[in-house]
Formats: sequence, structure tokens, C-alpha cells
Amino acid sequence: MVRRLLSVVAMALVVVIVAHGAVPAAADDYPSRPVTIIAPFPPGGVADLTARPVAAALEKIMKTPVGVVNKTGAAGAVGMQSVAVSKPDGYTLLLALSSISIIPEADKLFGRPPAFTVDQFAPIALISADPTILVVRTESPWKTAKEFIDDAKKRPGQISYSSSGIYGTLHMAMELLSHAAGIKMRHIPTAGAGPAMNAILGGHVDALASGPSVVIPQIKAGKLRALAGWGTQRVAALPDVPAFKELGYPDAEFYIWAGLFAPKGTPEPVLAKLRTSMREVVNDPGFKSAMEKLETPIAFKQGDEFQKFFDADAKRLAEGVKRVGKVEEKK
Amino acid sequence: MLETIQNLALGFSVALSPAVLMYAFIGCVVGTLVGVLPGVGPLAGISLLLPATFGLNATNAIVMLAGIYYGAMYGGSTTAILMRIPGEAASVMSCIDGYAMARKGRAGPALAIAAVGSYIAGTISVVALMFLAPPLAEFALRFGPPEYFALLLLGLLVLAYMSGGSMVKALAMAAFGLTLGMVGIDQMTGYFRFAYGVVELGDGIGVVPVAVGLFGVAEILATAGQATPPSIMKPKLRELLPSRAEWRDSAAPIGRGTVLGFLIGIVPGSAHIISSFVSYAVERRMSKKPQEFGKGAVAGLAGPESANNAATSGAFVPMLALGVPSGPIPAVMLAAMMVHGVAPGPMLIKQQPELFWGFIASMYVGNVVLLILNLPLVGLFVNVLRVPYPLLYPAILAFSVLGVYAVNGSVVDVWIMLVMGALGYLLRKLDFETAPVVLGVVLAPMIEMALRQSLAMSDGQYAIFITRPISATLLCVGAVLVLLALRPLVTKTLDWRARLALAEKGEN
Repeated sequence: MVRRLLSVVAMALVVVIVAHGAVPAAADDYPSRPVTIIAPFPPGGVADLTARPVAAALEKIMKTPVGVVNKTGAAGAVGMQSVAVSKPDGYTLLLALSSISIIPEADKLFGRPPAFTVDQFAPIALISADPTILVVRTESPWKTAKEFIDDAKKRPGQISYSSSGIYGTLHMAMELLSHAAGIKMRHIPTAGAGPAMNAILGGHVDALASGPSVVIPQIKAGKLRALAGWGTQRVAALPDVPAFKELGYPDAEFYIWAGLFAPKGTPEPVLAKLRTSMREVVNDPGFKSAMEKLETPIAFKQGDEFQKFFDADAKRLAEGVKRVGKVEEKK
Repeated sequence: MLETIQNLALGFSVALSPAVLMYAFIGCVVGTLVGVLPGVGPLAGISLLLPATFGLNATNAIVMLAGIYYGAMYGGSTTAILMRIPGEAASVMSCIDGYAMARKGRAGPALAIAAVGSYIAGTISVVALMFLAPPLAEFALRFGPPEYFALLLLGLLVLAYMSGGSMVKALAMAAFGLTLGMVGIDQMTGYFRFAYGVVELGDGIGVVPVAVGLFGVAEILATAGQATPPSIMKPKLRELLPSRAEWRDSAAPIGRGTVLGFLIGIVPGSAHIISSFVSYAVERRMSKKPQEFGKGAVAGLAGPESANNAATSGAFVPMLALGVPSGPIPAVMLAAMMVHGVAPGPMLIKQQPELFWGFIASMYVGNVVLLILNLPLVGLFVNVLRVPYPLLYPAILAFSVLGVYAVNGSVVDVWIMLVMGALGYLLRKLDFETAPVVLGVVLAPMIEMALRQSLAMSDGQYAIFITRPISATLLCVGAVLVLLALRPLVTKTLDWRARLALAEKGEN
């Protein structure tokens, strides 16, 4: 009985392996089987919530099933690493956030063997890019970004801010501002964007940099005041809030972005097919309404344009991580 | 008040429409099934099934998620009671007295009490949520890192003060748990600690594999190691319902557990786990028969089961009133709302009343559906005990591996569970209580983070803990507890713990 079962299993395995190998790696008939998008964060996070409408639209456009798999752990490093080393055939894709450029730099800083490097990925398309917004409580004394920065200059290390965690996106935004404006602030890391918001609402810290969709409801409710944003332009939903660029701090540029990647070495025709499909995705009404509900404007870039954005962003963040340095090196 | 009732009527008109009721029912069934899988609790259940609700409309989706959530919460206690496997971390305490009741042939009553306790706690805390959410949320926000640290420290002291048996052994186990909790990325500096190059250990040692290993796997090993297998239970139909005395014993613990759980739940973090531990400690301390705890005390099951249900409702307070998640479960619920185009935030109640009140009403409905669903199922579930051990135990082991793997899709978690299982077996042989280990694993990262955040806020000044009124008060209460514990040293009288130890000695 057992032997018969084993032989059945072995047969099944052989069939699966043969079938797998029989699928031609040729790119001209891509996609000929289901595609998987890895979201390196748990369901309900930004990466997951962006990946699912992308998958739904891609499925319609490429006429092949597209699934989302949440491969979480170590702030996204586990999922990103798994795509970096996967077969570059276009059937395993990655939906990554800004942190993809930060993790390898942090690894380097601590002398760890990096889980992956940014050049292991081929960018397909940028989906969204939200500049962070600097907010303070409504009852705080600072009415403008200038007042805030001037006060921070007078009292180095006294004004505190919360972040989503050390070397996290919200920390990096503040670090880029501190460098651009030549100020020093006190950093209180928390366990995520939610707790960081709690800390400022409760008055335990003075300032916070976070995404528009997170801060706008609190601004509308009269609890927080926006001072400035990290974008090249003002945010459409906050027309009165200047960008740091206008205020004379061109280096204070930072986005919380989401983009689709394939492992490096994916054949060019496959990448081309994915890029044209992604252009259709961002015009798909279902996708558009899904992103509207998330209050995340679509910021589509692909090809060289995305590569340029990605490189510039990675460079800024790498410098930021190096400037923050290891905690023990300070004092 | 009147307005609230009108609004609630609106909510019920949404929640009681046949389609919505059907989704509530499906959610409860699916949630119960998922929750029965070891390790897969409400958080994992909601996360795993969240994508399945994306195709529904907003109200149906939220109602179904609420059902999954209540179902998973309840399903977790079922395995804890019947097989000593915590379906999720919050049901660790139910493994102790719930399982002991089952071994005494009172599995049916234990399941019924857990269901009714959960139902009462769930319903009362939704009422509290409805009327008290805005003021309580404002209060919860005043809990910054220093207050949080003081609260956790107080929690540890209460537990040490109230835990039974050998104090030294309990503290040793708690210390061991706290040490395990140190593994992982240092959240303040980004260093990896004790990870030995394993990327997965960067997230620390999860509470789920530890709990399933220490309780479930250890129990299987211990039973397999017995010379004579335990007799197979044949639960009779008339023994399925709790006796009058059992109802009487559970009434007060359910009430206390509800209040305690709701209050602890408002504070951010893994409140539902902590609330069940605190409730157990309180019940043992209040009980006239503390020696029965661990041997099937009804209060030791009813209190924690009510507390962890009430705590999860409490956790929705900051989410609904402020639009800020206070823990992982509300965070997933918030995400679900966002997917359906509901902008979370302080304006939610005003802008989308039918959704907000529909959600509140669906929490009532979910609780009722679950009770209706589960009381008849008690008779079905207890039949698991009829399965002969040579079949039952390998199956449980397989499901434990499956469940623990499913939570994060991590093989490392499975290894942690197996190692903890072996360790738990050893500790049982040496007569150590393993529950404090689980508590230590939960608390260590939270205490550490709160302490270091506080010191970052004050630039290294420890005075921050006594200059802020809430944290100063909490620390004072803690100091009083320590003094009370020291009193017998001065007055040379036996305290309850010593009396308990003497009584146990007499028994053996």
C-alpha cells in the first residue's frame, strides 16, 4: 500500500517536473502560465494594497492568472531577497516600496552580507510616488516651515519627531530635511507609521513626516497642521502647503513610492511586454478607482524615466543612511 | 444618547438585511474553522482571508471580516480546551484550566462557558465602545512611551505577585521568556541581535510558535511518554451543559474579565494576550479556592476568555474614534476599510454613518451568530476526544506544523515550535509552569521599546518616569505591590502563597 502510494507520488513528481521543463523559456509566448507578484509586506499594507489592483488589471490585460503572494519578514528583506534570487523569466515579480533602496545600505553599514542589492532588480514601472508632508500639532507654536526650521536651529536636538523605525522611510525623510536645512532634531523611532502618528497626536513628540493619505484626515479634523512637503511640486490635495524646494531646500526631496520590478536578467522582450501591459494597467478604470480609494495618486513612470528616478532616489537614500550612521558612533 | 440609539437603529437596519446576515454567518463559520487550526488566530485569519473580501461591497466585506475575527477568536479556545493547543497566543491561559476541565470530563461545559463568556464580553464591550469611544481614545493617546513602560512594569509585578506555586520557578520562566524576546533587530539602532545570520530571526521569536510548541507539542510528547495511554473520553449528552454551580462560578469572572479586558485593550500593543494573563492572575488572587487553579477551576477559564474578547473590542476604540490603528488587528481592519473606499480618520463617524454604525451593529450580530453557531457545535467538537490517541496525536502534530507555517509562511517558525516543544516537555517533567515564558516573549520587546523611547524623549533623564502624572501613579501602585509582597517578611505571618504551598504539600 505504502509502496504503491510512494510510486504514485514519484510519478506525479516526474510529470510535474517534465511539464515544468517543457514550458519553453522563449519570451515570445510570454505569459504562458500564471504570474506571481510578491508583496514583501503583510496583507493590508501599502505594498499589498497596491499589488492587488495591479494583479487584477494585469490579469485582464495579459490574459493569464496573476496572483499576489505576501512573503513577509525582516522589514521586507525576506520577500525582496526571494525575488532577487528567483528565475528571471517574468513569472515572479516584486512590488517594492522605497525601502528596497534602504535595506542594502543598512546592511552595508553594519558590515552584514547584504540580503540583496538594488542592481539585482530590473525596474518595470513606478506606480505611485507620494511626497511626505511635515506636520505638527495645531496647538504647536510653529505656523510655517521657516519658523520651524529657525527654531530648530536655535535649539539643536530639542525638537523631537517620531518615525516608522530607524532607517525607515519616515526617518529618512526627516534626515534628508535635517541635512538640507542644517538642523538637528531628536529622533524617537516607533514600530510603524501608525504608532508614529499616535505619538504626535498624543503630544509625545513635536513633529512627524508621513504620507499625504495618512496626514490629510488628521489635518481636516483640525488636529495637525501641515508645514511643507518633500515633493518637487505641491500636493494636489494640499494646495496651500509649500514644497521644501520652493523654500530653498532642494535637497529635501523624498517620496514614499511603490513600483513593480523583475529580477535582473529577465529577457528584454518579456520586460517590454510587462511595460506595455503596465501602461494599460494605469489606464484601467478598475485600477484607477482602487487607487483613488487608497487616496494614492498614480504617478506612472517606466523605462529610462523610472530607472533615473530609482537611481536618484537610491543615491539620496544611500547618502542619508550613511549620514545617520550607526547609533553607537554618535556622541 | 437618543441620537446614538437612532444611529444604532440605522446600523441594525444595515446589519440585519438577509445578504449581510449571510456574510456574517459565512464569516463566523470560516473564522471558526481557521481559528481551530493551531497558531492561526484572529490576526492571521483576517490577514489570510482579507483578499477574499476585496470583491464584496464595503458593508458585506466589513461584516464578514468581523465574523472571521470573532470566529477565529473563539475557534482558538476550542483547541486550547480540548487538546491543550493554543489556537492563538491569547488562549494560552485557557490551555491550563480549560484543558484540565476537559480531562475531568467537563469538556462540554468548558466550551459552553468559553462561548458564553466571549459572547457576553463581546457584547458589553461593543456597548462601551459605542458610548465611550471618543473620550477613551483621547485618554489612550496620553499613554506615551513612559506611561506604557510604567504600565507594562506594573503588569509584570502584578503577575509575579499573583502567580501561584514556586515564585522562584515562575520568575525563572518569565526571565527566560524575556530573554527569548531579546532576539531580533534592535528597533532603536538597527542592529541584529542573536540572529546568527538567519534573516527570519530578524523579526524576533514569534509568540505563536513558542505558545504552540510549549503547550501543544509538549503535551503530545508528555502523553506519548506515559506508560499507559490516557483513557478515551466518552462525553455524554447530558454532560454537555455547565451545571448550576459552574454557571455561578463563572458569572463574576466573566464580568471582571470584560471590564479588565476592555480597559487594557484600549492601550496599544498586544493587549488581548496581556489581558488574558492579567485576568487569570486576578481571578486566582480573588478566588476563595486558589488551590483549584491549574486543576480545572471554572474561573480560570471564564475570566481570561472574556478578557481577551473584550480587549479586542477595546482595541477598536482608537481606530474608530481617531482613525489610527492601535494594534495589528485594527490595522488590518483599517486597510480593509480603505480598500472599500472608506477613508479612516476622525471624521469617519460623521461622514459615513451607515458604515460606522453598520460595523458596530455587525459586531453585535457577529457575536450572536457565533453563539448560535457554536453552542450546538459543542456537542460535535467534544467528539474529537473520542478519537483514539494513536490517530489523534499525529494528526494534531501535523496540523500544528501546518498552522504555524501558515501564519508567516516561514520554516524557521516551524523549527522554533519543535524546539520549544522539546523544551516544554523537559520543563513539564521538572515541574515548571510554561505560561510565564509566553508572557515574557510578548512583553520583552514592548517593555524594551517603551523604556528606550522614553529615554530618547528625555535625552537620557530617568526623571521622565516620575514627572509625568500617569506614569508616576502607575509606578507608585507597583511600589505598593512590592511592599505588600514583602510584608510577611516583617510580620512573620504566612501569606496566601505560603499557605497554598503548605496545602499542596499536604495533598501529595
